[in-house]
Amino acid sequence: MAHVPVVPIGETRDAIVDDATYKREIAGHEPFVSRLDERRAEVHAGWGKKYVKRVHEKGKLTARERLERLKDQGTDIFEVGTFVNYGIDFNGLRSPAAGVITAFVHIEGRWCVVIANDNTVASGAWWPKTPEKIERAQEMARRLRLPTLYLVDCSGLFLPEQSKSFAGAKGAGHIFKMNSLLSAEGVPQIAGVFGDCIAGGGYMPIISDRVYMTEQAYMVIAGAALIKGAKSQHITSLDIGGPEVHVHQSGCADERVPDDDTLIDCLRREVARLPSSGAAFYRGGFEPMEPNYPPAELPGLLPVDHRQAYDALQILARLCDQSLFWEVLPSVGREMICGVARVGGLYAGFVLNRQGLVEDPEASDEQRPAGILYRQGIAKISAFSRACNSDGIPLIWLQDISGFDIGAEAERHGLLAYGSNLIYTNSTNVTPMFTVLLRKASGAGYYAMAGLPYDPVVQLSTPISRLSVMEGRTLAIASYNSKLDDNFEIVTADPKERAHIEKRMAEVEARIEADMDPYVAARQMDTDEIVRLDELRRWLEVLVEMSYQGTGHRRVKNPRIWAMHDLDVLITGGPA
Amino acid sequence: MLRCAPVKRFRRLFIANRGEVAARIARTCDSLGITPVFGVSEADRQAPYVRDRESVILGPARAAESYLARERIVQAAVQTQCSALHPGWGFLAEDPLFASLCESHGVAFIGPSAAVMQKLGRKTPAKAAMFRAGLKLIPGSEGVLRDVDQAREVADSIGFPVLLKAESGGGGRGMRVIGCAADLKEAYDSAQAESLACFADARLYLEKLIEGGRHIEIQLLADKYGHVVHLGERDCSVQRKHQKLIEESPALVLSDAERARTLAAAVRAARAIGYVGAGTMEFLLDKDGHLRFIEMNARLQVEHPVTEMRTGIDLVEAQIRIAAGEPLWFSQRDIDPRGHAIECRINAEDPTNGFSPSPGVIRRWEVPALLDDQVRVDTHVESGYEVPPHYDSLVCKVIAWGEDRDVACDRLTAALEGIGCEGISTTIPMHLAVLGSKEFRSNRYDTRAVPGWEG
Repeated sequence: MAHVPVVPIGETRDAIVDDATYKREIAGHEPFVSRLDERRAEVHAGWGKKYVKRVHEKGKLTARERLERLKDQGTDIFEVGTFVNYGIDFNGLRSPAAGVITAFVHIEGRWCVVIANDNTVASGAWWPKTPEKIERAQEMARRLRLPTLYLVDCSGLFLPEQSKSFAGAKGAGHIFKMNSLLSAEGVPQIAGVFGDCIAGGGYMPIISDRVYMTEQAYMVIAGAALIKGAKSQHITSLDIGGPEVHVHQSGCADERVPDDDTLIDCLRREVARLPSSGAAFYRGGFEPMEPNYPPAELPGLLPVDHRQAYDALQILARLCDQSLFWEVLPSVGREMICGVARVGGLYAGFVLNRQGLVEDPEASDEQRPAGILYRQGIAKISAFSRACNSDGIPLIWLQDISGFDIGAEAERHGLLAYGSNLIYTNSTNVTPMFTVLLRKASGAGYYAMAGLPYDPVVQLSTPISRLSVMEGRTLAIASYNSKLDDNFEIVTADPKERAHIEKRMAEVEARIEADMDPYVAARQMDTDEIVRLDELRRWLEVLVEMSYQGTGHRRVKNPRIWAMHDLDVLITGGPA
Repeated sequence: MLRCAPVKRFRRLFIANRGEVAARIARTCDSLGITPVFGVSEADRQAPYVRDRESVILGPARAAESYLARERIVQAAVQTQCSALHPGWGFLAEDPLFASLCESHGVAFIGPSAAVMQKLGRKTPAKAAMFRAGLKLIPGSEGVLRDVDQAREVADSIGFPVLLKAESGGGGRGMRVIGCAADLKEAYDSAQAESLACFADARLYLEKLIEGGRHIEIQLLADKYGHVVHLGERDCSVQRKHQKLIEESPALVLSDAERARTLAAAVRAARAIGYVGAGTMEFLLDKDGHLRFIEMNARLQVEHPVTEMRTGIDLVEAQIRIAAGEPLWFSQRDIDPRGHAIECRINAEDPTNGFSPSPGVIRRWEVPALLDDQVRVDTHVESGYEVPPHYDSLVCKVIAWGEDRDVACDRLTAALEGIGCEGISTTIPMHLAVLGSKEFRSNRYDTRAVPGWEG
């Protein structure tokens, strides 16, 4: 069965919700969206105009200007880690984006990972979490075998906070280990040194296959400030480790170029020499097609209120090409939807949570809430995940999940074991996985659906994501369990005690609510990026295309021999 | 030269259409040794063209549940083991989703790829591609408008009246005719709101409103390997409310220089967008004699016999062979359109009563016996056939060829006069009036009024 029997899904917006509801939902998202836009702009501004001016006065470009010139005309930059360190105070100082931009950039027709020190934030110094952020981007590059470019302009570790980013397993030195692993695994690395490159910054470019320096750039283990007698000898860091030394004497760099613009041209030229993308080949004659229903409608169809149900297929219809989807194992585990669609012309697997009520296979005529993991659903997505891995289909997890089913029946069914089976599957998958926290990502549900601890290549949150072990209300109930009756009502008759319990429960709830904020997750790198719902389709296109860019490093089966077809035949008997 | 031995290509071909075009496609299938399978609605299950043929009932008469029901049609094609599907014209002929669905289920869709169709369906990218290939456009905004200020700027530079159109639009929704600058703001806002509500896309573009003019189109054929040829042009300016009534080739109102230039550019443009199959580019011939690109139709046209009569090429055959992966078996040099051909579309309408529909039983249908290779009648009807009220009212096309235009007109007139049709009203009297009129014979008319016919 070579064909992938996709069928149209979804309906026009007015067939799903009336105008008033749609407008109300869009309005509900509005504050979340504008907050994201504002905060992005804030991070993108770095330390502000004064520092931009300072960079320009040196005849240099800012890191963001370098990215703009590096990318192919008419393409977008897909940044990850924008909100790392967001809102964190370091003795009165901020470190927007942790002082480094990490992004997927389309260069000469190839997606690349670009790691660029932000020279408008403390001269590109490394803050706490900066090394982890760089390593995370390197890991993404390693997993997808994407050419990796370092735009180095870094004054070294931000020393007042050195103890937080130096010595640990993911301390700054681990960046160089990642440089080494990328090299060992054949991922091309290209470094452009634009300015300061001190200590750790000095090591970062060296392992790269090609190293370029501008005439303003220097790479040193220690700068002039720490060299005895440097002052009286009138020698500068540029004298110690500039291109004159490293290109000609030490051989630590390959080429010297006059300025930033020339260096960027050279980087583009290097990327053009690399193998071209396999994506067009794997599309097999198909071209990227827009969804039949506009992704711009997504916010109006996904209510902000996490207790409100919606039709998950309508969300999917706005993410896959022409809204064509093959639902695999449709009749079992109805609380889960899994199947295959093209995204940007390339096959991807989808797993998502149905919302509302589904039939209960344990009790005919009865229904139970979806958005929860039950035995059949877990078994189904395990099997689907294994099939995607076997077939080499990139797997996209769209989470809106409250967690595992609980109670006597759930334990008797052995959900711990079925869940562990799923965990095992996802943990050992080698096909690229991407996770999106559409709305709720709660408890073990977050784990089971390939949350960040299970190594998705990229995990995205939306402005309305709620990532937590449990909802605040649930924790408040658990904490005050001994004071509550079977309906979770406060038992005591004493008004003073009741008021006290109510107050403390509200506090617990508020604290958890605040921690579920996606910016908290993004700040501490519990999620890679926050994206608008109407940007999600574009992101998925890029992630899937990157999965098919490199050839020869991972299994990509043609659809004729997919294990997926076996699942289909076993359950449905196969197409007529 | 233009013929080669019919080779078995697709064994079975699904015809996802009805009426005249279904009969037309079946005729070529027969000549190629391909078994046609008809998908029909309940209203068409007894139609003459499916008699003694394989057919599958798609659903009720209502097109939404039959001729427009994508999944049912694909399922029927798969179940009847058809390896290809011809969509005809209208219905799903230019639906990218349907094309993808066919291909995904192993049925070759006879037409261009879904991606090309989608691109042609979007207004401004298609125009930009055509412009790059050297075709002239109707003056207007370059791509979509930023805002109302830009709209005003463009309108001032090209001059009123202008037409505001929705980028994702169709069927006149999101479209506004603007006569003067004072009306621009209000029209812009309301068009934008309507477009957003209908198509979830508020983008607008603007064009000069050109009234009248002549409607000229170019027939193209392209294979899967980048070979593209044109089969000359057609003049389809006899129209009533944008419905074509009479088509002819060549377009004598066109200068040789403009014809040659545009034909060459059209071939380049089709190649540039990766077009495959038979397609038609439509143009407006303005007062200065320039052809300005309007849109490209990614399908067989109703009026294709006009081109077939002049070139000797069976366009349906070409479509099928191209879909089966065959390279074009002739080059531009081999194509030598001869003489003049004219087609009349005969509809079941009463031309003396505002062209009101006239469905019902055709009690008697007779076509003169004198027909030879100079006159062709394409039809699916016969005596006793009932024209169903659910679909378009085309009952017949009569096409005549002559050494020149006058000879073709005379032969067509004779053929029309010989047709006997009782039980329903048809547009034959109107066609006879047009063909005999001074305006039509002297070729002095435009698309705003039917020459030689009042009403």
